[in-house]
Amino acid sequence: MLLAVVRRAFDMVFVMFGISVIAFLIFFATPGSDPSARIAGRNATPEMLAQVRASFGFDRPLYVQYGRLMQRLFIARDLTSFVNRGQKVVPAVLQATPVTLSLVFGAAVIWLTAGIGLGIVATIFRGTVIDKGLMLLALCGVSMPVFWFGSVMNLITQSRFHDTWLFSWVPGLGYTSFFESPSLWFKTLVVPWFTLSVLFIGLYARVLRASLSENYQEDYVRTARAKGLSESRIMLRHALRTSLITLLSMFGLDFGALVGGGAILTEVVFNLPGIGRLTYQALQNLDLPFIMATVMYSTFFVVLANALVDVAHAWLDPRVRDAR
Amino acid sequence: MSTPLLRATDVSKSFPIGGYFQKGGRRKVRILNDVSLDVYEGETLGLVGESGSGKSTLGRTLLRLYDADSGKIEFDNLDISAKNRRELRPLRSKMQMIFQDPYSSLNPRRRIGDLIADPIRIHGQASERDIQVRLRELMDMVGLSHSFLTRYPHEFSGGQRQRIGIARAIALKPKFIVADEAVSALDVSVQAQVINLLMDLQDELGLTYLFIAHDLSVVRQISTRTAVMYLGGIVEIGTTDDVMHKPAHPYTAALISSVPSHDSTVSKSPRIKLQGDLPSPLTPPSGCRFHTRCPFATAKCAAEVPLPRDVGSGRMVACHFPIN
Amino acid sequence: MSDNILEIRDLTVAFRTEQGPVEILQGVSFDVKAGEIVSVVGESGSGKSVTSLAIMRLITDPNAMISGTIRYKGRNLPGLSAREMRKLRGREIAMIFQDPMTALTPVHTIGWQIAEQLRIHFGVGAKAARTRSVELLGKMGIPDPERAYGCFPHQLSGGMRQRAMIAMAISCDPAILIADEPTTALDVTVQAQILDLLQDLRREYGSSIILITHDMGVVSTIADRVLVMYSGRIIENGAKSDLLDKPQHPYTLGLMRSIPPMTGERPHRLPSISGSPPLPGNRPEGCSFRPRCEFSFSKCNAAPPLFRCNEQFAACFLAENGSHQWQRNSAQERTGE
Repeated sequence: MLLAVVRRAFDMVFVMFGISVIAFLIFFATPGSDPSARIAGRNATPEMLAQVRASFGFDRPLYVQYGRLMQRLFIARDLTSFVNRGQKVVPAVLQATPVTLSLVFGAAVIWLTAGIGLGIVATIFRGTVIDKGLMLLALCGVSMPVFWFGSVMNLITQSRFHDTWLFSWVPGLGYTSFFESPSLWFKTLVVPWFTLSVLFIGLYARVLRASLSENYQEDYVRTARAKGLSESRIMLRHALRTSLITLLSMFGLDFGALVGGGAILTEVVFNLPGIGRLTYQALQNLDLPFIMATVMYSTFFVVLANALVDVAHAWLDPRVRDAR
Repeated sequence: MSTPLLRATDVSKSFPIGGYFQKGGRRKVRILNDVSLDVYEGETLGLVGESGSGKSTLGRTLLRLYDADSGKIEFDNLDISAKNRRELRPLRSKMQMIFQDPYSSLNPRRRIGDLIADPIRIHGQASERDIQVRLRELMDMVGLSHSFLTRYPHEFSGGQRQRIGIARAIALKPKFIVADEAVSALDVSVQAQVINLLMDLQDELGLTYLFIAHDLSVVRQISTRTAVMYLGGIVEIGTTDDVMHKPAHPYTAALISSVPSHDSTVSKSPRIKLQGDLPSPLTPPSGCRFHTRCPFATAKCAAEVPLPRDVGSGRMVACHFPIN
Repeated sequence: MSDNILEIRDLTVAFRTEQGPVEILQGVSFDVKAGEIVSVVGESGSGKSVTSLAIMRLITDPNAMISGTIRYKGRNLPGLSAREMRKLRGREIAMIFQDPMTALTPVHTIGWQIAEQLRIHFGVGAKAARTRSVELLGKMGIPDPERAYGCFPHQLSGGMRQRAMIAMAISCDPAILIADEPTTALDVTVQAQILDLLQDLRREYGSSIILITHDMGVVSTIADRVLVMYSGRIIENGAKSDLLDKPQHPYTLGLMRSIPPMTGERPHRLPSISGSPPLPGNRPEGCSFRPRCEFSFSKCNAAPPLFRCNEQFAACFLAENGSHQWQRNSAQERTGE
């Protein structure tokens, strides 16, 4: 077991290294992206350029620059932005983390509950109008782009119907920490949660519906019936229990990707100062230190989620446990 | 007897199992254990054994569909175990295989005519006209209507699909055919037809078969000689009548006495009951691999590996105490 | 007859398709006596498995239309409510399937699955269910039943899995055990052990067994009575020894002849039945075996009822005037051409 953990940790370091190198090279290889020119401004004289180049270390060889960047990011932790000189990167990321976690965690609770519920209901009524209706609804959820849906939600709750009793409780865009005011935290996040989860509700309901109806074709469901079990028991203890394996793997990866900044569109639309928005701003300014920090952060979570999914998979599925 | 068409000497084959997470890491499981075997021109050698005995692996290894780890395989006086893929190509047309489930071995999107013609097109320089003539000839040989050539695999019954599989196997006029459970998936009434067909084709085309099956009565019907496998090794080989009626190895005797007879007029010899399950090939028993289940085992059997020895009329038995 | 524990009359199962209803079973009738082993033999597509599923009311396809009566101890099963039927399944009539690997839920231990059935039907506590399950596993001849209790299905060998499956099926001491190809997925040596076990069970518990198989060897080893099915009908029904010695239907005869013998002279050619069974939607008029039958004559254009010949029944006009002997040799020569 210890060996497996060590191996996983090694994998993680390797993946993070690889991705950091790629991100770094993309930054320097992007045409017309001489970082010193960007930093110095539009009307910079050659002397100013040279000065900027020297002060940021752009005149050094690439591998030295890379090494310094990594050293300041991970060891000294005093890496500062290229664009807003003096803004430290690490605290900014740490500050954005709880925002993203709040958003993703709440959305996950919603989408798991609703997705599993809808999947089960659709399977029970499979072949009927209810099943078809639910699956169509789920498809709509999957197909709606988040930025569009988020904007529509904003339009409804912030402007058009804000003054009606229905949405008057919705506070303005932004984020309030849970520790400052739990009720306000909850209120600001309700609409983003819903927006973010709609896509996943649709996705999970459809995947679960497919997996469950596949399980219902399996011999063991027939055995369960032959044993005299009730339909609800067959669903929950036999069919769903087996389908959860698939669902949990999916959930782990989705959750990891979202915590790692995948909720970028939701965060931007609802003006939530999370990791996603931080990445978005860094990309707009081609701010290498921030790009590097957010990419590393995101990679960390994705790889971590992968590892956790593997462990959970083995825990849920005895066949996998033994195959290793 | 004449010189063998195919001679295998001390062939071994292992497969890797397990992954990173398994205790002890990746291991190898030895499926074939120093197997030696001669197949003579024009004969049918039956290969019987229970699941896990390695009979299918042996068939595939002899055709070089798997590469043996060690040992030598000679076909037509040529050492084929040392040849690389390219050197093997001309030989491939001389050795063909018929599978258990013809449905999964026939591409469902292609017409029967194309499926049978494929090997001819790949291997030969025959003109399209000749191929069409040959296709009709082949359909006649296996007893199918010419009109089937333009149809798709799913339109046929199991027996017809197996006939198609046979037509494809004999398309290149091979000398040697490995039939791996070729009639096992068929119902008895159809099975009898296919057995007859295989025997007719052998007479007509002078084919040599290695007939792998778990059904002893089928092997008895079709084979000139029979080899019995247990846990990766051949325990007994001899003429079918000798092996089936005067088994010398206790395992053969147990196997044959377990076959339920449908003919109530024949008095059956008492069944030899085996103890326990087939041991795992990962941890094979010491000495004679059968000693853990053998009713006649002694201390010698646990200590010494019995080497195959000749007990007269070309019969080889790997047992310290063969039954007389 | 009062000692019939199960009486099936005119059981018909049809499926609605785009081409109209297709009858998989066409009026199947038979009885099972208490403590009897009845074997249903037939090739794939003959309807033998559908028969067993229909008895258990396990055909869930909404397009299925089922008619006929199935009387278990006087109660008509198709007339029971879903709830009553559930109480019966597993408790009064239990079932085992061909492949115990796929027939057991892969994510629960063997023991959990057996205990589940005990708890559902008897409402016993977790501890009592566990003790009983371990006991049952032991009775099935599984070495170290305590350990097997905690094993997942994939961790056991095929034979052990089937034993566990049987332990589960008999856990509630059912009056009827339906075994659908219980040994088909197993090796012969293991098959022999499982057949022994089934016979022991009958002796010990006195339960009736309906054994569905395609293997005449299995039939001859274990059955008391044999039903031969062909294309959705029972075409022959009789005591095992009568039926195997003196088959009255040409299909039964052909089926038995096409099995390669394990003893005696090896035939130069196996006598075989030409062609293949008709698809249910495409049966010929009259006797559905007619196109493949070497003895067919003008009468065969009508569907034959079951004729009685001595203690045997056969759906063939040749049996109309009672039992008859096949001219074995001449028939064999004819098919051997």
